Amino acid sequence: MKMVKICFYFQVHQPHRLKKYSIFSIGKDNDYFDHKKNKEVMHKITRKNYIPMNNLLLHLIKKHKGKFKVSFSITGTAMEQFEEYAPEVLESFKELARTDCVEFLNETYHHSLSYLYSKEEFKEQLEMHRKMIKKHFKQEPKVFRNTELVFSNELAKYVEDLGYKGIIAEGADHILQGRNPGHVYRAVSTEKIKVLLKNYKLSDDIAFRFSNKGWEEHPLTAEKYATWINSHNGTSELINLFMDYETFGEHQWEDTGIFTFMKQLPEELLKHPDNSFVTVSEAVMQHEPRDVIDNHNFTSWADIERDLTAWLGNSLQNSAKQELYNMEKHVKKTRNKELINTWRKMTTSDHFYYMCTKWFNDGDVHKYFNPYESPYEAFITFMNVLNDFSRRIQRKKPAEEQIIVNDTPSIILAQ
Amino acid sequence: MLGWEFPPFFAGGAGIVCNELTRALNRTGADVTFIMPSGPEEIYENLNIDEPGKPRFRILIANNIYPGKPTKVYKVDSLLQAYTTSEQYEHTYNRHMQKRKGKHGALYGRNLKEEVMRFAEKAREIALMEDFDVIHAHDWTTFLAGIEIKKATGKPLVVQVHITEFDKTGGDHADPFIYSIEKRGMDESDRIITVSNKLKDTCINRYFADPAKIRVVHNAATTMRSKEDYDGAHIKAGDKVVLFAGRVTLQKGPDYFVYAAKKVLDQAPNTKFVIAGNGDMLPQVINLVADLGLSKNFIFTGFYTREEGEKLFSLADVFVMPSVSEPFGLVPYEAQIKRTPTIISKQSGISEVLRHALKVDFWDVDEMAHKILALLHYSSLHNELKHNGYEEARNATWDVPAGKCLGIYNEIIGRGEI
Repeated sequence: MKMVKICFYFQVHQPHRLKKYSIFSIGKDNDYFDHKKNKEVMHKITRKNYIPMNNLLLHLIKKHKGKFKVSFSITGTAMEQFEEYAPEVLESFKELARTDCVEFLNETYHHSLSYLYSKEEFKEQLEMHRKMIKKHFKQEPKVFRNTELVFSNELAKYVEDLGYKGIIAEGADHILQGRNPGHVYRAVSTEKIKVLLKNYKLSDDIAFRFSNKGWEEHPLTAEKYATWINSHNGTSELINLFMDYETFGEHQWEDTGIFTFMKQLPEELLKHPDNSFVTVSEAVMQHEPRDVIDNHNFTSWADIERDLTAWLGNSLQNSAKQELYNMEKHVKKTRNKELINTWRKMTTSDHFYYMCTKWFNDGDVHKYFNPYESPYEAFITFMNVLNDFSRRIQRKKPAEEQIIVNDTPSIILAQ
Repeated sequence: MLGWEFPPFFAGGAGIVCNELTRALNRTGADVTFIMPSGPEEIYENLNIDEPGKPRFRILIANNIYPGKPTKVYKVDSLLQAYTTSEQYEHTYNRHMQKRKGKHGALYGRNLKEEVMRFAEKAREIALMEDFDVIHAHDWTTFLAGIEIKKATGKPLVVQVHITEFDKTGGDHADPFIYSIEKRGMDESDRIITVSNKLKDTCINRYFADPAKIRVVHNAATTMRSKEDYDGAHIKAGDKVVLFAGRVTLQKGPDYFVYAAKKVLDQAPNTKFVIAGNGDMLPQVINLVADLGLSKNFIFTGFYTREEGEKLFSLADVFVMPSVSEPFGLVPYEAQIKRTPTIISKQSGISEVLRHALKVDFWDVDEMAHKILALLHYSSLHNELKHNGYEEARNATWDVPAGKCLGIYNEIIGRGEI
């Protein structure tokens, strides 16, 4: 009889939010980011989530003497803000790294959707992120996760060719087609790379439903949850619990009992002598693909659609991303580190997420940390910044290569 | 239903609301008897609101409200009209009496107070001959009538507040007579309907109304007459048009529109600004435009009809409603249904429900200009708001507020007072 291995992976990410940037600021203000807001958000989450949860994980790892393990993916933009605003959080993650029970995944440094628009940029951001993990945590990541779990056959193949052993994806119904997310899979057109699929039901029980009083299982206890996992014994090899790290203390506040739940959960699960915890690379190494999945179109872990429409569903988002990526080669030609870095901060997917207008059904999640009153404000700010930015690049370019960020050429703003 | 105006004879939003709400209630099968005052020279013969052949729906929640009969309109002769102040009333009264050359057969009282009471008396008489379950009175001019009918019949009273004396006077110069009637209406009613949360707060803070009695029922989008679009190419001559439409009065903030226009024109000189509407501030606004040197970019239309309004909304690239105070403000819906993106004041009731509009504080002319420029400059923003705004207005049907009203009627009928 096969026993289940529980694989926790937590996503840690904070974007560099843009400040309110008016059309009248174009040409006059080079500082695009809302340092005050970013600092405030970082301090708030540090207090409510990062520090208490890191401490709890450290406690659990020590208590269970190596039997409890977790994995993280921490974006470069989050790390930069730890360094700037909350160095204690970075130290605390380093301490977790030293336990040998915590593993770090590789993703795009800027939490971008660059794979979709520029493979070159995608590779560069992966490399930046890999170096950062190595520098801070002394690990060489082997498993890749794409921003928002955006995934396809083609992406799996591309990442396989880059040398990764594993990749993470959403266990969406249309990918699995009735099959069990509790196994390792292989994507069509790949040879070796293994796909770990999120068990969205059990993950969302914690991430979304935990504090929902209208849910028939509320209140969810560690004991009850452990019986659900144990019921997979014999049918599943892996239970992949993937979620935002901000679930603990931010999406689910402390008074919901989320910390108590997590404190008790490993003990409950380890009561069953055959249960164990694994990191993502262990999960990949210890299992062989059970079947092939065919995911021609892109999927993600967002919203009910599990597709890309949260970032690319409307003309605002499409226009903004097009203008942004059109600039790539001009930006890189300047070889100006600061300009390239600023441009990259703009590739963070959150900027596009804020412009999402389909918020009638999924609006709740879209509101987390969203600094804008409406998606239209998000677009206006982003485009104004891009306009100013393009002027700065133009100043560094010969006249014949001028670029214009302006989707309405009939109205030219006065310089 | 007690109202003081009904299309085609109306002066403002409340008449439109009465019309739309009554029809929507009627569509659900509710029988509505509408009592309104009328001026001596107005003709109602062509008013057809029976709409025969329309499908009827059974009432599901308010089964005490009997279905069957179509809407009736009774006219109580009156000089009472929208936005009447005591002073204006006396003026109208004198003019009317001059025309009639002293034939004193008519009913009209000498002053506004008398007139409101006369309407109340007359409406009560009509009501005593009617069979109904709820009294629904719109705005202060009909509140006394509502109270009288409630006293005479014992039926529950709903008063609906579209605007208060504080909104009309911009703050602290409320007419004590009007205020006292507004307050009495709220005090003696079983339920108070306000058309926004903002107005609910006014009722609580200024009239000390019982919050437990208040229900907010936001308005829906006005039904447009013409389905056709109008491009107005000869007016625009290739330029973009930014539109202000409404009464040119302090309450509507036309001066903020002009200051914002100045800032827009500094950046985008080939933009046209249209101020449509009439009002006591119009001369002042025209002077301001001239003083700022913007006359060649401005068009003033003066008073406009419904049809002209629809053309204006159609041709405009951006509609701005910079109201200083707006208990609700239906106009943005009219722009949206004509596929024109809107910028609305956060001080308006409609901003509580509109999602696909840009919002500004009326005094923040920098932000207003910034948003006008953004809409003129970024075509994807313009397209997205045009499309989503249209869908939003199209889906904002009067069935929603009518349903809420039925729910409220049901609350008070169900209390066993009848």
